[in-house]
Amino acid sequence: MNQPLPVDQGANAAIQRRSVGEPLTLDGITHSYGDGLAVDDVTLQVAGGELVALLGPSGCGKSTLLRIVAGFLNQSQGHVKIGERFVDSLPPNRREVGIVFQNYALFPHMTVADNIAYGLDARGDSRSDQRFRVEKMLKTVRMEDFGDRKPGQLSGGQQQRVALARALAVQPRILLLDEPFAALDKNLRLDMQIEIKRLQRQFALTAILVTHDQEEAMAIADRIAVMRKGRIEQLGTPVEIYDQPETLFVNDFIGSSNRFEGEVLGREADRYVIRLDNGAIWHIATSKTFSTGDAVLVTARPEQLVLVDQPYDGAFAVERTLSLPLGGTLIHDVETPKGATIKVAAPRRVGEAAPPLGPTHCALTENAAPILFPKSAG
Amino acid sequence: MTHRNTISDQSYSVVMGGLATLSVAILVGPVIIVLLTSFTSSRVLTFPPPGFSIEWYRDLFDPVRSGHIHSALANSVWVAAIATALAVVVATAAALAMARSNRASARALEASFMSPLILPGLSYGLAALMFFSILGFRPSINHLIAGHLVVIAPFIFRTTLASLTQFNPALLESSASLGAGRLYAFRRITLPIITPGIVAGAFLAFVASMDNVPVSLFLSNARTNMLPIRMWGMMETTLDVRIAAISGVIIVAVLVAMVVMDRLTGLTRRMSM
Repeated sequence: MNQPLPVDQGANAAIQRRSVGEPLTLDGITHSYGDGLAVDDVTLQVAGGELVALLGPSGCGKSTLLRIVAGFLNQSQGHVKIGERFVDSLPPNRREVGIVFQNYALFPHMTVADNIAYGLDARGDSRSDQRFRVEKMLKTVRMEDFGDRKPGQLSGGQQQRVALARALAVQPRILLLDEPFAALDKNLRLDMQIEIKRLQRQFALTAILVTHDQEEAMAIADRIAVMRKGRIEQLGTPVEIYDQPETLFVNDFIGSSNRFEGEVLGREADRYVIRLDNGAIWHIATSKTFSTGDAVLVTARPEQLVLVDQPYDGAFAVERTLSLPLGGTLIHDVETPKGATIKVAAPRRVGEAAPPLGPTHCALTENAAPILFPKSAG
Repeated sequence: MTHRNTISDQSYSVVMGGLATLSVAILVGPVIIVLLTSFTSSRVLTFPPPGFSIEWYRDLFDPVRSGHIHSALANSVWVAAIATALAVVVATAAALAMARSNRASARALEASFMSPLILPGLSYGLAALMFFSILGFRPSINHLIAGHLVVIAPFIFRTTLASLTQFNPALLESSASLGAGRLYAFRRITLPIITPGIVAGAFLAFVASMDNVPVSLFLSNARTNMLPIRMWGMMETTLDVRIAAISGVIIVAVLVAMVVMDRLTGLTRRMSM
């Protein structure tokens, strides 16, 4: 089950109905629960066939937004449009929105085949059509031999395949994924992420993934909407979100990063010259505007930092306290004289062991692009 | 983890073992005594029986000599069956509505639905009799059914509500997202999942109705004689050994029903894994 198997083109071609998924438009969605705003004026365009991840901590409104799209909640304001049609007044069972839940929500008293046939039977497909389609779906998710099993007899990954097959069997216009990988162990998770991505691509499905796991979002989303307090904090491709976080929240939520305080000394060509509190001078490009003397925060990912033997004006003194060879990467924990801990990650060459601990210097890598924030943002 | 046999451990097992033995003795002892007595060769209820005979069972099954017992049994079974059937409908509907609502008024209603279990049976029987009299009804089997319905519905309500609280609401959301309407979802999802709860409650309710004295006492008349009332009457006047035989039959019937029930629900549990 762990190796990707060859895709059965015949089975999938028959299931494919649309060559391009339908776009989903959220227009000014606001939803309030008694005391506060769960979703605050969210506008989002998801292109046909695109997978957008709603990423954020619990309580950021991502699940509420998903439930609004599915029709389980009626938003206080705003509109949901699938394709060219407003679906605000449609009940969930007429929206043609498929969902895969975190706990899969398979019908426990039915066999796998009956689970997959459920939506087909509900809309009145003939027995033979149902059987035909169930076979195809089982094949698509590589569960041909499990049609007669009950969900309780399946592993988590298998249950998820069935949940996916059940949702896709009725050819939904939009696929919603509600933390679908949270209950899986790590190795299986990656397999399933690839699997879902494969199916979503193949069916050209417009999909929304709700997750609090940034790696998951980075792995399978075309674009990520980082959410906080009911609003979209930043919307962009995984690379944009990681490399160019627009806010400190996004910076801290995605990946790990080191934070330095400093002061703007001036501007040289397209870069600001920043003197960090630890003494190093860094030249940083940004689209934001600062004036000389401004207090700033600088964030740099561990892989944008490097340890150097010789001091120079772009480096600051640190003490290496810990070095961990994590597979292909060496992670160094270093401490500044003031006691702040900084993480440095470097690719590990074959045979290279962790260097001895002790005093050294820390600087930016050659093509590092640290991010500048006004100090007040912190 | 090492386990040391401390004094508190020992006293715990002594006390728990003693209580368990006592409970079993008190629960099972009388049943065994009644069963043994029913096979007595004596003409009166005595223990230990002086000799063995199945004369009392033969007597009990004789349609001529025990006709009044048979008709009382028929009444009791009829009332229990109809009351249970009605209670299944009423209590299941109530439990479904209750599980769906999370308003405070629903909680209050829940308590009032359970109140027939708490209210003393005699008070309720008297109240029901007065109520029906005020409305101008003469005692009839329909009133017995109505009276029993009220007293036994909570059993079904409780077990059904319990199975509904374990019900994963995401199942219904899944169902809706697959395009199924509410009725379809109820038939294919909700009902199959809560059926073991309903069946278990119905079993308890049926037995409770068969066994009910206080409500029957007030609402039955000569024509609508009920088995427990008839047994009580026999007990008071003649100390008839057939009472022991009736008890024997009932005990065996309930045991058989329980085994069947367990098989059925056990089976359902296995099926719904």
